[in-house]
Amino acid sequence: MISDAFIPAVSSLGAVALALGLIIHFVSKKFHVEEDPTVKLVNGILPGVNCGACGFPSCGQFAEVLVETRNSAMTCPVGGADLAAKLGEALGMTMAEPKPQLAVLLCQGNNDVARQTAEYLGIQDCWAATQAFAGPKQCRYSCIGLGSCIAWCDFGAMRLENGLIVIDNDLCTGCAACIPACPTGVLVMQDKKASRYFIACNSRDRGAATKKACDAGCTACQKCVKVCEDNAIVIEEFLARIVQDKCTACGKCIEVCPTKVNCIRLENDLKAVKQKQAS
Amino acid sequence: MKTFRTGGIHPPESKLTGNSPIEVMPLPSELAIPLSQHLGKPAKPVVKMNDEVKKGQLIGEADGFISANVHASTSGKIKAIKPHPHPGGQYAMTVFITPDGKDEWAEGLECAPADWKRLSKQEILRKIKDAGVVGMGGAGFPTNVKLSPPPDKKIDTLILNGAECEPFLTADHRLMVESPEDIVTGLEIMASLFDGPLKIAIGIESNKQDAIETLQRYALPKQIEVVSLKTKYPQGAEKQLINAITGRVVGEGELPFDKGCIVQNIGTAAAVCDAVCRNRPLIERVLTVSGMEISRKKNISARIGTSFSDIIAFCGDMSEKTNQIISGGPMMGKAVFSLDVPVVKTTSGILFINNPALGKSMERTCIRCGRCVEVCPQGLAPWLLANVAQLRHFDEIQTLGLANCTECGSCTYVCPSGRELVHWIKYAKALVANRQKRKSA
Amino acid sequence: MQSVKLKVSYAPFVRTKDSIESVMYNVALALAPATVMSIYLFGMRALLVNLVCIASCIGFEWLMDTIRKKPASCLDGSAFVTGLLLALNVPSNLPLWMLVIGSFIAIAAAKHVFGGLGHNVFNPALVARVFLLVSFPAAMTSWPVPFAVDMETAASPLGILKTDGVEAAMKSLDLMSGFYGTMNGSMGETSSLALLVGAGWLFYKRYITVYIPFTLLGSVFLFTAIFHLIDPAAYAPPLFHMVTGGLLLGAFFMATDMVTSPLSVRGQIIFGLGCGLLTAVIRLWGGYPEGISFAILIMNGFVPLIDSWDLNDRKAIHQKKLQTT
Repeated sequence: MISDAFIPAVSSLGAVALALGLIIHFVSKKFHVEEDPTVKLVNGILPGVNCGACGFPSCGQFAEVLVETRNSAMTCPVGGADLAAKLGEALGMTMAEPKPQLAVLLCQGNNDVARQTAEYLGIQDCWAATQAFAGPKQCRYSCIGLGSCIAWCDFGAMRLENGLIVIDNDLCTGCAACIPACPTGVLVMQDKKASRYFIACNSRDRGAATKKACDAGCTACQKCVKVCEDNAIVIEEFLARIVQDKCTACGKCIEVCPTKVNCIRLENDLKAVKQKQAS
Repeated sequence: MKTFRTGGIHPPESKLTGNSPIEVMPLPSELAIPLSQHLGKPAKPVVKMNDEVKKGQLIGEADGFISANVHASTSGKIKAIKPHPHPGGQYAMTVFITPDGKDEWAEGLECAPADWKRLSKQEILRKIKDAGVVGMGGAGFPTNVKLSPPPDKKIDTLILNGAECEPFLTADHRLMVESPEDIVTGLEIMASLFDGPLKIAIGIESNKQDAIETLQRYALPKQIEVVSLKTKYPQGAEKQLINAITGRVVGEGELPFDKGCIVQNIGTAAAVCDAVCRNRPLIERVLTVSGMEISRKKNISARIGTSFSDIIAFCGDMSEKTNQIISGGPMMGKAVFSLDVPVVKTTSGILFINNPALGKSMERTCIRCGRCVEVCPQGLAPWLLANVAQLRHFDEIQTLGLANCTECGSCTYVCPSGRELVHWIKYAKALVANRQKRKSA
Repeated sequence: MQSVKLKVSYAPFVRTKDSIESVMYNVALALAPATVMSIYLFGMRALLVNLVCIASCIGFEWLMDTIRKKPASCLDGSAFVTGLLLALNVPSNLPLWMLVIGSFIAIAAAKHVFGGLGHNVFNPALVARVFLLVSFPAAMTSWPVPFAVDMETAASPLGILKTDGVEAAMKSLDLMSGFYGTMNGSMGETSSLALLVGAGWLFYKRYITVYIPFTLLGSVFLFTAIFHLIDPAAYAPPLFHMVTGGLLLGAFFMATDMVTSPLSVRGQIIFGLGCGLLTAVIRLWGGYPEGISFAILIMNGFVPLIDSWDLNDRKAIHQKKLQTT
């Protein structure tokens, strides 16, 4: 009795499955795409986060182009020198080392030192806020403080503290994905160095206006320019800037800076320091 | 009654000041005149600190093709030229004038009324340009540029926009009732710039019956049609108004002159009449002071550069419940972030409101009710644009008609989930523009 | 000058008074006549079924929100409407534990698995109804007789139509009493009058459009009319189909569910036509006497396809413009 219902069902479904299996087999044979094993190898070396820092939309595409062109100038900023060496080994050539970079926030205007204008209650995103007005802080060059860049960072290197973005230098890979997330341009890329001095201010307002808006603003008082023996500090648009190539990290400028919250900052890069000590 | 074809909403009209005559606001103790009151490049300042200026004197010169002149609104001394809050929400370079109280006209501006019919087209356009006339409806496009379309575009329809579809605002309404002659003359002057047969129409929403009747009396003898339009937002948006009056559709990436039309605002027509017939630059404008949180609601004629705090002092009694002050109408205006912002050429109103929705967490999930699609006058799918914007897929969003959005805000108005649809669209527009800028840089 | 704390947000600064709550509770209000009618016809047991369904739906909504760590949305009205619709879609003598299982299926399996309100593909109440129907077919098809005192049950007119043919079905039901609701059936679907009153309220408040319900009803009417004309002895007249079963409840309250219906007018017409034709086909030739639940669920599955067709059309228009400019 059971076999009466059983046999036709099993055999018909089995036949369908067999037919479909054969079709899949033929299709996969006929339309087989030959994949270069080197591409697979290179792709395995790459970090695989598809951050776009190299200029390609994905690591896979970077690998394809690299294997095809064998262009030694192509670099992966995220992987740094280690990865360049590994890539060179795999491809049997010497790859250029990427210049390691870091995202840096040129602002210290947290909620304690920066004066506010109006409360913002729209979409909690920096770009959205700048479509409504100049930002909740009086200084229109400052970090808006809504943290859009946090979502754009693939490495979790950003966090928001007291209305200001804090960047974790150990996690930042220098991929620059966060740069377009910032509407005020207060987020910039800088070369990675063992210890860096930089002016953590972005205000192009005149000194008086800057002072009114924020306790941590550069007022372009020229004191640091005068004290710098390496001529590494220039003032452009009422804003001091440290030329990283000339700066020897002597630290004299920090001592003379008169702003309440020192607008010149020293940042020691632990990873870079360790690397330097090791070598 | 004519109206545009797709979409539209009916927000509460709230025209509280439709019957209040225009009051002239006294001269304030300081004027802050931004050099950027128009679309395009800011004007170049041509005065220095401590200079003495006369009323109507040029203080900012148009810098480039799309830019406009800026004039002193009264006589006095230049106190400072520095960045200052602008009603558009940003900071702009602003000329501060301390009035000397004499309110003296600059030389040559007091001359007897000119007969515009003797002037050539070039002279009329030059006068409009010199007077710094811009579109006074909101965008602030320089009027002389708008009146000189490329020669290959044949203009056959000139439309005057008296729809004033934004709730609360009545400035254009009062201007139509009180100075119909100026408006019709301004319209005639603009019409004289075009050769060939020209249809001239004034579109007015049917909730302003007195304005329709008044203008009909002056316009009909001059072969100008007064069109009564259905009261529906955004009837006064350029593309919708053209659709309502001519039936033509201004498509994506097209400008009105591609369809043979030019639309001008009521205030602009009056300013053109002032500029051409009386040599007067644009230094004051009519605006509505209204909203639930101010007791003396009125229409006032204020000098360009009068700060909002001076206007509050004049109109008085702002309630403490006010949490937002809007420059412009409630649908497309901007919430100002400082009371120091001045009245500019495009300020059609100042509203004092208590926005109860503020403070709560507002945006909730889309329930796919489809109302935003139903009301979008441009036939877009705002919910989808907002979703794609939130995902930051900026290539895809352009294929969904991002550029076609006129930011009328109808979608956000109707959304039961309280989604900030038009804000997300604006966000996407800003990021798309930023990306293009980065690419070309 | 008094100091005011200015707040900045983006335009527009006036917003509609409608909210998710107002939409949902208005749908519930529109279902009120049918609910009242169900209590009138089937007694206090019907009230109990309503309360159990609503309470357990809201409870499961709260539970799912808590598990998924989402802000509590159990009182936004959507769970209330789901519970009410589920109650109106079952016979009034269904065991209460089955109602709780149905509510769980509706909220957890049909709604929160897909991501909660606004993300579900299928109408939660209908998924629960169909789940109960295939799991407990006997309990789901023994309909209490209206005003019965001793839990007397009988087949519904559609059931009679399926088993005993047109003549017996027509004899069992006077069309006018079907219109008022004194016939056997699920709690909320018997009274066409009450459903039409509720639908009128939804039209008045503009929460639903005419496209889905009218194409749905129209296509059922036309389809059954054609076959009735061909062979009146084998096929029941269209008006019989209109007043029996859950057709009106489905057409006005389930097919029009905002979340699970297409957005464009064109899509809504296709959706309505599809629901109508499937309903008619299932009713005339299918194994089940009633087809509207299955029809709507099947068409729910097509909604993403219909919407993407619309989307691709939009994209094609704008792509062309982008290339030329």
